[in-house]
Amino acid sequence: MRPKKLSYAKYGYIFSIPFVVAFCMFTLYPVIFTLVIGFTDFKGLGVTDFHFLSEPFKNFQQILSSPSFKTALKNTFVLWGLNFLPQILLALLLAAWFSGTLFKIKGQGFFKVVFYMPNIITAATIAILFSTLFGYPMGPMNSLLQKLGIIDAPYNFFQNKWWAKGVVSFIQFWMWYGYTMIVLISGILGMNTEWFEAAELDGASGWQKFFYITLPNLRTILIYTLVTSLIGGLQMFDIPYLLVSKSGPNNATLTASVFIYNQAFSGSYMYNRASAASMIMFIIICVLSAVVFYLMRDKYEAAAQKELKRAARQRLREEKQKARTGA
Amino acid sequence: MKKLNVSKGFLAMVYIVCIFLAALSIMPFLIMVINSTRSTVQIQQQAISLIPSSHLIENFKILTGKAFNPMRGFLNSAIISVGATACTVYFSSLTAHALVVYNWKLRQPFFTFILAVMMVPSQVISIGFYQFMYRIHLTNSFLPLILPAIAAPSTVFFMRQFMLSSLPLEIVESARIDGSREFHTFNRIVLPIMKPAIATQAIFSFVNSWNQLFLPLILLTRQEKYTMPIMVSLLKGDIYKRENGAIYLGLTLTVLPLFIVYFLLSKYIIAGVALGSVKG
Amino acid sequence: MKKILSIALVLVMCVSMFACLGTTALADDNVINLYAFTDEVPGMLQKYIDEHPDFGYTLNTTIIATTDGAYQPALDQALAAGGDDAPDIYCAEAAFVLKYTQGDASGYAAPYEDLGIDVAAEAEAADIAQYNMEVGTNPDGKVVGIAYQATGGGFIYRRSIAKEVFGTDEPAEIAEIIGAGTGSWDKFFEAAETLKEAGVAIISGDGDLWHAVENSSDSGWIVDGKLNIDPKREAFLDLSKQLKDNEYHNDTTDWTEAWYNDMAGIGPKPVFGFFGPAWLINYTMAPNSGGSAVGEGTYGDWAVCESPIGFFWGGTWLLANKDVPEAKKAAVAELIKWVTLDCTEDGLQYHWANGTMVDGVQGTKDVVASSTVMAASDGSVDFLGGQNMFDVFIPANAFADGTNLTQYDETINSYWRDAVRAYTSGELDRDGAIEAFKTNVADNLDIEVEF
Repeated sequence: MRPKKLSYAKYGYIFSIPFVVAFCMFTLYPVIFTLVIGFTDFKGLGVTDFHFLSEPFKNFQQILSSPSFKTALKNTFVLWGLNFLPQILLALLLAAWFSGTLFKIKGQGFFKVVFYMPNIITAATIAILFSTLFGYPMGPMNSLLQKLGIIDAPYNFFQNKWWAKGVVSFIQFWMWYGYTMIVLISGILGMNTEWFEAAELDGASGWQKFFYITLPNLRTILIYTLVTSLIGGLQMFDIPYLLVSKSGPNNATLTASVFIYNQAFSGSYMYNRASAASMIMFIIICVLSAVVFYLMRDKYEAAAQKELKRAARQRLREEKQKARTGA
Repeated sequence: MKKLNVSKGFLAMVYIVCIFLAALSIMPFLIMVINSTRSTVQIQQQAISLIPSSHLIENFKILTGKAFNPMRGFLNSAIISVGATACTVYFSSLTAHALVVYNWKLRQPFFTFILAVMMVPSQVISIGFYQFMYRIHLTNSFLPLILPAIAAPSTVFFMRQFMLSSLPLEIVESARIDGSREFHTFNRIVLPIMKPAIATQAIFSFVNSWNQLFLPLILLTRQEKYTMPIMVSLLKGDIYKRENGAIYLGLTLTVLPLFIVYFLLSKYIIAGVALGSVKG
Repeated sequence: MKKILSIALVLVMCVSMFACLGTTALADDNVINLYAFTDEVPGMLQKYIDEHPDFGYTLNTTIIATTDGAYQPALDQALAAGGDDAPDIYCAEAAFVLKYTQGDASGYAAPYEDLGIDVAAEAEAADIAQYNMEVGTNPDGKVVGIAYQATGGGFIYRRSIAKEVFGTDEPAEIAEIIGAGTGSWDKFFEAAETLKEAGVAIISGDGDLWHAVENSSDSGWIVDGKLNIDPKREAFLDLSKQLKDNEYHNDTTDWTEAWYNDMAGIGPKPVFGFFGPAWLINYTMAPNSGGSAVGEGTYGDWAVCESPIGFFWGGTWLLANKDVPEAKKAAVAELIKWVTLDCTEDGLQYHWANGTMVDGVQGTKDVVASSTVMAASDGSVDFLGGQNMFDVFIPANAFADGTNLTQYDETINSYWRDAVRAYTSGELDRDGAIEAFKTNVADNLDIEVEF
């Protein structure tokens, strides 16, 4: 049997070709190209030739010492902090309620669908929608607050930097808490039920079970969510770019991606500086990814297997049921 | 069963929170849809209303008069999204097939590699990508937005996991005995088994591609090529007069297809999120 | 399943074919690609095509508004990408026209004479202002763009408010009250105080004053490749602070809803006036006045007088791509000539100045580039209660010159306005605001900045 099986090994290589080719062309090559541009004097509209700089790290130095880039990174963390903490707390709370160890909520399916909904809507649309909702002086938000008597004159939200940051964070929170909740629910459901049964025999209350069993076992997923959301924050473009004309009051909502866009595709077309900024951002993301990768190494497989099996079983059950009712 | 050991007051609070959050999710879109039927003057007088008005057609005329062509944008977005989705699911399945069915020397390193590049974000390679496309004259083409989808590491990962659990290798073996060639086996036998995984990944890939703004914005310069998100990003800019009714209508038109897809397939989407959760 | 798969495959193939087709098949010899930031120029060229059925070309228009700075990147990339999709004719506004005529993107512009237009003779016949041509001249000394408007500005005020507060609505007397032509803002601020006592804001937001300040300054943002803050522009910080602290305006931002509302008189306080050229009346104030005939909204309740400091604002230059295919050249030249240089009664400028763009409708009027045409036109408009606005705007054109324009004005202005707003709202102190402004310019543009 063995030699015969070996003879099929070449298909492993053959079937991987499209992936490898596409990856090399559309990811690897651009990464290298971007890196190279970072060391050159490449700038200007419609220019295609460039030369390496005599001081190779000049662009990198320029970016690292540029206050705007620092602001962009700082904003990224501030915006992330403002949205992640409430997001994870709310998601945990909802996950605890919805995973059904304490009680059953009617209409769970509906709630999940509705909570997750903003996540699939085009970010560009959401940005424009919110900028219209918070419009000044006649936007819905202003008229609501005035009706409720909270303010007596229209307020121009996007002229205040904390409001601008707050709205961007809120949108992120609003778009992602449903997703985080579903992830956490599936994490909870994937846990070994024996632990809970044992705890129950020991007379543990629902909340005790949550704090002593559920939460510690969600650690990996929580860290995972944390890091991916941070990476997502670094990449955030559509919302800050469209919500408050480009970078908000006094660069309040300037993010790393908007910074790169401004460098490369508006104004002076400084591809070299933008590339250097991209690479710095890339390194930050690599470090963050390495953390995730390290944490996930083993748990990945085990968790995925279990989840998939559970889903497969359920599907089988459903199909059987369908077959039975159909017949 | 100890399910009733919570007080009624607590349960009521749970429902109140859930209903509040549901309202929070729905309200912005509800305001958007209703305002898209109201005239700019009406919106100016009263920004929130729960009663639709009769200015839908008028708004549509203003909107299309502003060089906003929803049909064109819809078609362009559809071409890109369908193309990218087809590439993603087909080639990811193929790559996963290579990883699961065959025993080759570089299999493990290749898999590790895929895990490692899962998070290379598109923004950081945008300069190199744009310059590359610019040099080969593909800046106004959809190809640079479709073809990269062939290499989708996270989808490969998902497909591999699914295959490991639901593809009995005996099926492949017996196909060989029946004289089926490998590529044929993949297309005719393995792909159908992958249907559930393909469906889930297709939805996410589609939505992702549909919502993209950054790359299309720098690559597509011709108005006829604009995707829905680009059109949306230009909606606000009208220098002479602000037509809020038309803006709301434009926004509504862009999300309508997503709403339809979502509410038809929400069950699978939620299940897909849960299933994919271990990888994000 | 087989079916689904084959459908999927067919779909993939169709899509890739579509995608390929997209790159080539859309090219059409009889289409002129036009890039513009409003529907103004597209409307003009469409009119020409409608009036000349044998012209043989159609327009493919891309309109992207300049709000949020979206127009320039899109135009730049389209020019750089080249090929059949490249713009044949494109428009540039005063805030960035130099980039396309003399700056980074000047290499894309075709000299008018290369298109077969005898610029010197035609411009003389039309009597086009010198600055207009200078702005449109490329580094080789050839004219690549001409604007069809003249954009000297005035102060456009509400007659009813003027009567109530100052007892007169006569332009000459109001001009006296706001210190017209004095070259200083002192009397203007005195008037603002008087108006404030009557519960009226003299202007809508600091943007209104900015346009007057910006385009009356002696030097531009860039001098010898370095960032330069003209003293008059720097003084805008203090003027703006004064306006805000004394609540002389409604604190709106131009080109936003709040600003438009003030034109209709439905803002928090009634607003006395706006600074602007004729086009502001026609394209912005009239449509936002809340009416379209005398008596409706603020329509008809306006008048225009000279500004304390002369200024000009805006203007649209028409450029052609140097890579226009030989076959299209004559057609492109025909259109450009009709818009910028034709001074006959069938020319665009005559229609434009007399509001006869649409047959039978006495529409809006504008001050155009050709003095020959202006001399033969009448500028009385209902919106200004029948006042002949040319009386004010034509002399104001003397203030228009291109010396303080730079190629990055649009971008730098937005950073400056941002910084000023941060200062007036108290978020930054005066030095901090200037520093933030310099930082933004240094970090985002390829300009030397001294801190």
